[in-house]
Amino acid sequence: MQEILQTHINLSKIMRITLSQIVVMLILTGISRAEVGKAQSVLDRNVTLTVEHVSLNKALDKIEKSASVRFVYSKNFISLRQEVSFSAEKEKLESLLNKLLGPLNIRYEVIKDRIVLNKIRTEEDDDPLEAASENTDAIPVADILTISGKVSDADGQGLPGVNILVKGTTNGTTTDADGKYSLQAPDESTTLIFSFIGYATQEVEIGGRTTVDVTLAADVQQLSEVVVVGYGEQKKETVTGSVATVRGSDLVKSPAVNLSNSLAGRMPGVTVVQASGEPGYDGSTIRIRGSNTLGNNNALVVIDGIPARTGGFERLNPADIESMSVLKDASAAIYGARAANGVILIKTKRGKSGKPQLSYSYNQGWAQPTVIPKLASASQFAEMRNELEIYNLPVAEWSAANTAFKQTGSYTRPNGSVVSAPYTPEDFQKLNDGSDPWGHPNTDWFKSTLKTWSPQSRHNVQLSAGNDNFKYLASVGYQNQDAFYKNAATGYKQYDFRINLDANVNKYITTSIGMLAREEYRFFPTRSAGSIFRMLMRGIPTQPAYWPNGMPGPDIENGENPVVITTNQTGYDRDKRYYLQTNGQLDITIPWIKGLKLTGTASVDKYVKRTKRWEIPWYLYTWDKVSYEADGATPKLSKGARGPAEPRLTQGDEDQLNVLLGGIITYDRKFGNHALTVLAGTNRETIEFDNFNAYRRFFISSAVDQMSAGGNPEKNNGGGAWERARLNYFGRVAYNYKEKYIAEFLWRYDGSYMFPKNTRFGFFPGIMAGWQISEEDFFKNNVTFMNYLKLRGSWGKMGNDNITLNWDGSLLEYQYLSTNAFRSYIIGGQEVGTIYETKVPNLNITWEVANNKDIGLEGQFFEGKINFEFDVFFNKRDNILLQKTGSIPQTTGMTLPPQNIGKVQNRGWDFLIGYNTQIGELSLTTSINGGYAQNKILFWDEAPGAPAWQRTTGRPMYTFMAYQYDGVFKDEEEINANTLDYSAVTNTLRPGDMKYKDYNGDGKITPDDQVRNNRTNIPLFQGGLNISLGFKNFDCSILFQGAAGGQVYLSTGESGSIGNYVLEVYQNRWTIDNPSSDHPRIADRSNQYYSNNNTYWLKSSNYIRLKNFEIGYTVPAAIGEKAGINKLRIYMNGLNLFTIDKSSVFDPEATNTLGQYYPQSRIINAGLTVTF
Amino acid sequence: MNKLTYIFPVVIVLFIAGACSDDFVNTQPLSEVPEEAVWKDPGLSQAFVTDIYNGLGNGGFDEQMLASLTDEAMFTHPGRGINTITEARSNPADIGWVNNTLNWPNMYARIRACNLAIQNLETPQFENTSQISASVLKGEALFMRAYFYHQLLRYYGGVPLVDRPYTLGEADYTIARNTFAECVDFIVNDCDQAAQLLDGKAMPSGRTSKAAALALKARILLYAASDLHDIATASANSSGIANFSNKDVLGYTSGTRVERWQKAKDAAKAVIDLGGGYELSLAAPVSATQGTANYANMSLSKNGGEKELIFARYFINAKDEGGAWVGRNNGPNGYHNWAGNTPIQNLVDDYEMMDGSSFDWENTAHASAPYTDRDPRFYATILFDGAPWKPRTADAAGKDPYNEIQTGQYQIVNGSGSVVSYFGLDTRQSSIEDWNGSRTGYYMKKFIDPDPAIVDQNTRQQIPWPFFRYTEAVLNYVEACIELGEEAEAIQWLNKIRFRAGMPAVADAGDALRQRYRNERRVELAYEEHRYHDARRWMIAPTTLGRKAGRINIIGTLKAGKDVKVYKYDPANYDYVYEPLDIDPGIENRAWLDKMYFLPIHRDEMNRNNKLVQNPGY
Repeated sequence: MQEILQTHINLSKIMRITLSQIVVMLILTGISRAEVGKAQSVLDRNVTLTVEHVSLNKALDKIEKSASVRFVYSKNFISLRQEVSFSAEKEKLESLLNKLLGPLNIRYEVIKDRIVLNKIRTEEDDDPLEAASENTDAIPVADILTISGKVSDADGQGLPGVNILVKGTTNGTTTDADGKYSLQAPDESTTLIFSFIGYATQEVEIGGRTTVDVTLAADVQQLSEVVVVGYGEQKKETVTGSVATVRGSDLVKSPAVNLSNSLAGRMPGVTVVQASGEPGYDGSTIRIRGSNTLGNNNALVVIDGIPARTGGFERLNPADIESMSVLKDASAAIYGARAANGVILIKTKRGKSGKPQLSYSYNQGWAQPTVIPKLASASQFAEMRNELEIYNLPVAEWSAANTAFKQTGSYTRPNGSVVSAPYTPEDFQKLNDGSDPWGHPNTDWFKSTLKTWSPQSRHNVQLSAGNDNFKYLASVGYQNQDAFYKNAATGYKQYDFRINLDANVNKYITTSIGMLAREEYRFFPTRSAGSIFRMLMRGIPTQPAYWPNGMPGPDIENGENPVVITTNQTGYDRDKRYYLQTNGQLDITIPWIKGLKLTGTASVDKYVKRTKRWEIPWYLYTWDKVSYEADGATPKLSKGARGPAEPRLTQGDEDQLNVLLGGIITYDRKFGNHALTVLAGTNRETIEFDNFNAYRRFFISSAVDQMSAGGNPEKNNGGGAWERARLNYFGRVAYNYKEKYIAEFLWRYDGSYMFPKNTRFGFFPGIMAGWQISEEDFFKNNVTFMNYLKLRGSWGKMGNDNITLNWDGSLLEYQYLSTNAFRSYIIGGQEVGTIYETKVPNLNITWEVANNKDIGLEGQFFEGKINFEFDVFFNKRDNILLQKTGSIPQTTGMTLPPQNIGKVQNRGWDFLIGYNTQIGELSLTTSINGGYAQNKILFWDEAPGAPAWQRTTGRPMYTFMAYQYDGVFKDEEEINANTLDYSAVTNTLRPGDMKYKDYNGDGKITPDDQVRNNRTNIPLFQGGLNISLGFKNFDCSILFQGAAGGQVYLSTGESGSIGNYVLEVYQNRWTIDNPSSDHPRIADRSNQYYSNNNTYWLKSSNYIRLKNFEIGYTVPAAIGEKAGINKLRIYMNGLNLFTIDKSSVFDPEATNTLGQYYPQSRIINAGLTVTF
Repeated sequence: MNKLTYIFPVVIVLFIAGACSDDFVNTQPLSEVPEEAVWKDPGLSQAFVTDIYNGLGNGGFDEQMLASLTDEAMFTHPGRGINTITEARSNPADIGWVNNTLNWPNMYARIRACNLAIQNLETPQFENTSQISASVLKGEALFMRAYFYHQLLRYYGGVPLVDRPYTLGEADYTIARNTFAECVDFIVNDCDQAAQLLDGKAMPSGRTSKAAALALKARILLYAASDLHDIATASANSSGIANFSNKDVLGYTSGTRVERWQKAKDAAKAVIDLGGGYELSLAAPVSATQGTANYANMSLSKNGGEKELIFARYFINAKDEGGAWVGRNNGPNGYHNWAGNTPIQNLVDDYEMMDGSSFDWENTAHASAPYTDRDPRFYATILFDGAPWKPRTADAAGKDPYNEIQTGQYQIVNGSGSVVSYFGLDTRQSSIEDWNGSRTGYYMKKFIDPDPAIVDQNTRQQIPWPFFRYTEAVLNYVEACIELGEEAEAIQWLNKIRFRAGMPAVADAGDALRQRYRNERRVELAYEEHRYHDARRWMIAPTTLGRKAGRINIIGTLKAGKDVKVYKYDPANYDYVYEPLDIDPGIENRAWLDKMYFLPIHRDEMNRNNKLVQNPGY
């Protein structure tokens, strides 16, 4: 064995795996090698050249010119004087180099656009790689004018390996490890072309300068980009699945604290809806190609190769993110039983070669609600409040009561009883003239409770360096987010820390380790944001938030006055979450089989959550409107305790450990024009969780908030635990012929603890194929304006094992087991434990099956100036886990388990069109993307019997029924003319009542006249328009984002005696004086039949908004250098800056119909990034 | 070459091979008990049976109470489906407010739990312990099954009788409704079995007992004998029932009423004979004060009143449950409470005068002081204007240092010496949470713990809800006796109840006695979830449940020369005018339709089970 091995090594000279900053993995084997990435396209260039007896450096020079390539090598290692001869006629560069350099014992390696030459090393030599890259030198060319400078990226990092070409020649150079370069130009009007993979090519006229510093803008659409896919990376050209990507450098442009809020409009087919902006709970719901199942629609999130890590991606530091890929189709199949809803892959940044770079960024932002609902003023409210009193009376008395209320504030009924107006004419006068701030205030509850701008800040320090054998990146982040409330007890703080290490242990072994530590600290008052905004919507404007002397006013209800509740006067509710996540990977190149590699993976993720809720009584001031201080003029306020009778404390602990162990074998080789990658692997994952909580009340004082200071009576505690496990095997076979014909087969054999043994394991295949039409001669020869065109298609079968209850999202585990859970009941004066059957087991339960098909076309025109991508997809989800509540009678009494019964189809398209150009010094990159998805329930156990217009089957999911609005009964006359029977909805029709359509024509308004709507609050289309501009030292990026095809349901909710009305209702409403045929009479707490459940309240939620805007300025290098600063960039950006929509009462992304939620944020932010 | 290069591949390959064992994927729920363990373990078996009692919910102490569907009370807050029922708008797609203690799916889910227990306890798999006996557990399960069916029966009429646990994957789950008679027999049979199994067993509070089983039997037999379920009588009173083709699901189409009344009488007597009850051996009326105290003792289960309870739902401070918030849900807004189920004038008017005569608005003495000299139970049931109550909270103490209910509009003299109008703290024009004020001018007092330390706004109480109390059995007995013409026996027992309350004996006969009894039952059992059923089974609903709800309007005018700065109820300072009015139609417009005798079965359930027959009128 030893002998064979030794021989083999001598023959094949295994080199290394490079983990460069974009992780191009090269397996070098002797002179010939299989490569991925850009390398192949360079090596495929044709060369026609004959040289006879020239020195090697001359020969290389000729090849450079002939094949437009750059050689980089060290004179120390390569003997340049040796004479060579060869003749090539339309020969591939690869084959030429093999012939030329092989005999000279020179190996070559394509790194980006350069071809690095090096001596083939023997086993005993030192690692040559470091030396090679440290001592490279360009071949000298004629010495005319020396230009030098630095090329850096948008973050100010020097870019190594950037190609710099003198326009019109083949003269050029590449930048060194620090991004610096120097080259000779023929004259002062020379134009230099800077190009680099992944960045927009830039042309710069030197205009007499000798120092030309250039910042390259990232170009998402550039070809040869490397795309992260499941268990690997692929060149964009060879990707056959539908994969959307976004770069970390784009995400940092958003000032949103929660990363999920930075995705809207950036990726075609990825729908992002933010329902709440509350610090700590402000994440967006992300849907990949809409909704596909009646069950859980959440995508699987994979961070640095590890699926479903605790904490997800929302709280990742945007500065740590290299890229995000979204697998929208069968490309997700390699994640098997959890991949049905798509997969979001996140790759964090890793160290780069070069001298240590320290960068610091500081962001200071200010947030405010995107929309503050316009509500009625005090006198407007008072007007409506009086009307409510009138509407309680028989209709015949309305008019008289209305007149009497307005004249005297008191109405004497025909039966002699007197009805007093809640607000008399005198009250109206005081409300209008503001003469009585004590008794007749005009309170704007939102204004009283919310501040104009709420600060948020983010600091980030990142250190990165490395050489070819060892690279590191360390990042420390801090975020602090305040809430909208004045003196807010609500906020979010985060500390995060990340280290990513990459090391080449030896020629065969490379390893990478990533570690994340994060503390998420959420804090709130003891009332939820929902209840606080309920108070704001309910706050009656004629009641004071504060008394004129500054004391907080009375409660809206239950001791709740939002100006007090939002502060720390009620105690606190704290939630600290700690994450310690480690993942490591070990790659071993197997020396004795060419192209074979073993990878071992492990991740250990620890998660701890600690909650502490301290509830104490608080104090409000009331005035009885009759008592005065001794002076007889100052109202006498009384201070009263509210809230809990005495202090209470609840504490909880959660502890979770996720462990994943994995192994992968990869065989990656190229045989002539045939490239083959075979990958097979396995993962075993376990999760252990336990929790504990305790409660005590009767604390002696509010001063000590520690459990042991609590009283003994009624103390309580609880706890529990669970375990989860998964085992799976997966693989990929990818083949391409000259990158022209590409085929890929993915699979996973997945086993989930969610299912019983007999149905636990499933096989999930994916087949994908691509045809790079632009590589065909007929295309190349005829379609010259189009440099790239690829047609691709995919089919895959994936699973969804995430069985959740729709109403609370809780996971339904062990549905195949017959088990009993715990409750309690009071027996003999004691709370005794009880058990109950949780459900009737389903012994055959298994995962949902997604059948996803996709056809895509992508291409580029005019050398990449215009690029596009278009996909159509057809998804069909089978075996959706649903309870058969539609057909199994409730008389069975069974708590039904989910069964694999539902079928839903979802089809649509998504697209992206990009354009980038350079006009003088102005660079412009722009793209528009969008996605449309429309789903339809094919089957879901709907009971027969509902009329056709109410059936859910055949319609989109989550639609609802509503009566059809048909105007308003303007007056008694119209009521008298009515022939429909409304008795099922009201037993008396009154003026201002709403008319409904008798949909089924039976002459009666009954629940059968409700019609199911085809729309839901989820938009059908979402898209974005991205524009990036660069001009000299300025850069600017703009993102417009919009959605269409959704609808919102607005409800008057609690408006009336316990809550204010939105201004729109006030302006439109039916009144006795001004009866309307279009808008109904106001209701008190939605107490009229028409207050809910009809189409009058439905509004389109279409919108377009300026989602993100950034303008930046990079301080000229010359200025920064004096201060030792490599790069300094200052910028301002904003989120949700303005919105155009129809409903305008609430934010169009709102899902709460009552406005009782913490609104979305508009953020304005200023920041700077400095790199040393 | 590093040795690691050899070692790692081996490790990885071994790992991949090792991963093939998938035993670790067989995780188990750590916080649940496997079904197979339950019935082998006496403790777990008992825990399972005990959980069945959770089907009783909060008893009658939910925020919305059944009283608000009747002429006892009205519910203050809109949007809870209450007036869907009181305005007779129920339909199969929208039944209106249905509490979970009678809700169809909940009842059948609990019946399943009973069936599981009964089936598994048939042949016990564990040895009885000193504490736990399989036969007692079975008796409890049988009783609970009977109770849940009795709930369904009195709302829906005959329902499908399910006596076994279904399993998943059965070919046919459809099942027809059983006849009313079959349901009654089934319930009676379960009660008889339960009574036998529980005979001689000392059951802790909260569990059922032989007495409870017999009380349930007595109640259901009384219902069975009533007008609504005698199809001949019912058809005469209701065209809906007369025209219904499946009459036997609603009542008896054969047999004699005398036979059914006799059964009801015997069953009630069996309960009475078990002994118990509170202060039922009086030969003469107690004082008015004592009468009020006696009645309060029973409703609060204190000072001996707990002897009344045969079967109840208990609440303790250690467990926060909705049923402990009765005070907050129903108390006055002037105490920062929610005024949920407020008594209506219709109930107030039905309390007799102390002397046994009827209250009459036409009688000026009555009308000028309507809360004077009334049945002592009135004062333990209802908070009215001027009634003393708990201490006010600090913010209200200035306006009412006397801690009296204020539901009127009064004149007071303000700081500058002028007479102004002042709305009481507990009105809908109050300075405190006016939207939570009573619409009727009354608040519920019965069942609210008067302990001043219990600040209802933020403190729970521990008053149990009575499902069965001894007096109900006595009243059932009285009713059966009256219907059987055994009037002397009826009067004797009726008077015992009245004496305890401080009310004089009755000496009516014939229909007058029946009406007297019915009113006595109404007053004695107010707020105890009887009126809704009684009014329907007696078929007096059109004039009771369907009658417009009434309220009181109270104006207090200062007498000449009086100077009151802080209001207090005082006829010496004020002239009071009491005016009974109907609740305005815009708030609740009560009406009665024939169909309302039975609830509709929900349309979705009708669709799931094509053998079901819908109730008449829907």
